[in-house]
Amino acid sequence: MIALATIQAASPPTNVFEWFTKESFRARSGAIPHQVWLTVWHSAAALVLAVLVAVPLAVVLAHYRRGELVAGWVVNTGRAIPTVAILGIAVIVSLREGFGFEPWPIILSLVLLALPPLFANTFTAVRGADASAVDAARAVGLSEWAVMVRIELPLALPVLFVGLRTAAVQVVATEPIAALFGAEGLGAYIRQGLGNNDLYQIQAGALMVTAVAIVADLSLWLTGRTLIPAPIRRQAGRSSRRNRRSKGLAEAIA
Amino acid sequence: MSEQSPSRATRWAACGAGVLAVVIFVIWARQAVRGLSPDTAATNPIIRWEWVFKRSSTPHELRDLTIEHLKLTALPVAAGLVLSSALAAIALRFRWTFAPLTAVAGFLYTVPSLALFAVLTVYLSPFQAAVVALTSYTLLILVRNIVAGIDGVPESVLSAADGMGMSRQRRLVTVELPLALPVVMAGIRVATVTTIGLVAITGAIQLGGFGFLIFDGYNTQFFTKIAVGAILSVLLAVALDLLIRSVERVLTPWARRRVAR
Repeated sequence: MIALATIQAASPPTNVFEWFTKESFRARSGAIPHQVWLTVWHSAAALVLAVLVAVPLAVVLAHYRRGELVAGWVVNTGRAIPTVAILGIAVIVSLREGFGFEPWPIILSLVLLALPPLFANTFTAVRGADASAVDAARAVGLSEWAVMVRIELPLALPVLFVGLRTAAVQVVATEPIAALFGAEGLGAYIRQGLGNNDLYQIQAGALMVTAVAIVADLSLWLTGRTLIPAPIRRQAGRSSRRNRRSKGLAEAIA
Repeated sequence: MSEQSPSRATRWAACGAGVLAVVIFVIWARQAVRGLSPDTAATNPIIRWEWVFKRSSTPHELRDLTIEHLKLTALPVAAGLVLSSALAAIALRFRWTFAPLTAVAGFLYTVPSLALFAVLTVYLSPFQAAVVALTSYTLLILVRNIVAGIDGVPESVLSAADGMGMSRQRRLVTVELPLALPVVMAGIRVATVTTIGLVAITGAIQLGGFGFLIFDGYNTQFFTKIAVGAILSVLLAVALDLLIRSVERVLTPWARRRVAR
């Protein structure tokens, strides 16, 4: 049995599927479910925190029509801040301050990555909320707070979810970078593959991260379909097709 | 994001304030490091300005890294624009192809950048691999914005153009493309700025532009390099964003007139 394992380990895999099927190749990389769990956990925590920060801020700013230009600039520049830089700084600071290596630096850098698409989409959607609906709500006697929470936010949900899906895909696809700084997670396979010049291990890591990203995207799409009331979904589709030639093909990415 | 254009005075004031801030900062920092040798103790626990301003090889290194970062941004965006224009033309001509095209572009978007760089370096040189991978990330944004821009031209305008007897090609070039320009340019801006952020990751395959500084700084635990790399990529993004905005303003004079009124 031991001899067999040695022989298997000695002959390297000839394609990525062998890497998955023959356990001896994977032995040194840690269990797959654990690494998937780490990636999912880091990404989910970052997304939740980003939603808690970006959505209230965007709703309030868009409701009061404040800071539009500044917000646009900050959001667009925020996209250019390299996640690796944030991660490097956060890891060093976190170690120095005694917060440890995982998971706070990783989650913090992913939150910053998720903020721009979430904020931009929420802001645009609330700005574009049907003015007559908002006026009607005020006429019925709703407070400004209630207009935000009960009228504008629900109307913004379809576009908000588009932003959430973009953010989720970006976050999951970027989480492996943490491995370059020594963290665990699916990126560990890519890091080890780069280190050992093992193409199949890199491919396997890439496949798994892509799979997680697609699953995240699909499950958020499904959540959106279940959570958002059908009339609002249809309304969003209709208003985006206004002024369009036949049927709207695409939504511009703001 | 929908934006109201500020008045010309506001815009010049903002630009002037930005430039002034940078100039004042550089003067202050040079003053602060006067009399320090490159390897004395820190002037500042976070960023050691003497590494930036006193080390004789720093300017050359930073210049080379800036050129590399610019190349790794401009080439993928240009290639992405050419490819996306072709793909958008196909999507607009044969409408059923739009969903599969964006699905493929969306799939490319989910592939982790680190892995894509790593896999492609097996077949290509690091530079080629970086350009190919970064190009693939611009496709989704650009195709969607080009299609949305052209598709958003109002029906009445097209009828008017047809009524004037324009040919299909002439209508596309003189009516549809100019009217779609703001949306297309917005896409180019987002793609450029996003690419600037992604270039840093190519540091993992011995390239990286400012990403090289970031990885090098992390490996040697030298905070200054990471901070300088991050700040310079943000500055580069702001500069290119401004550049594209001004190109857009030059190309769409009618929008400017509307603001002035």
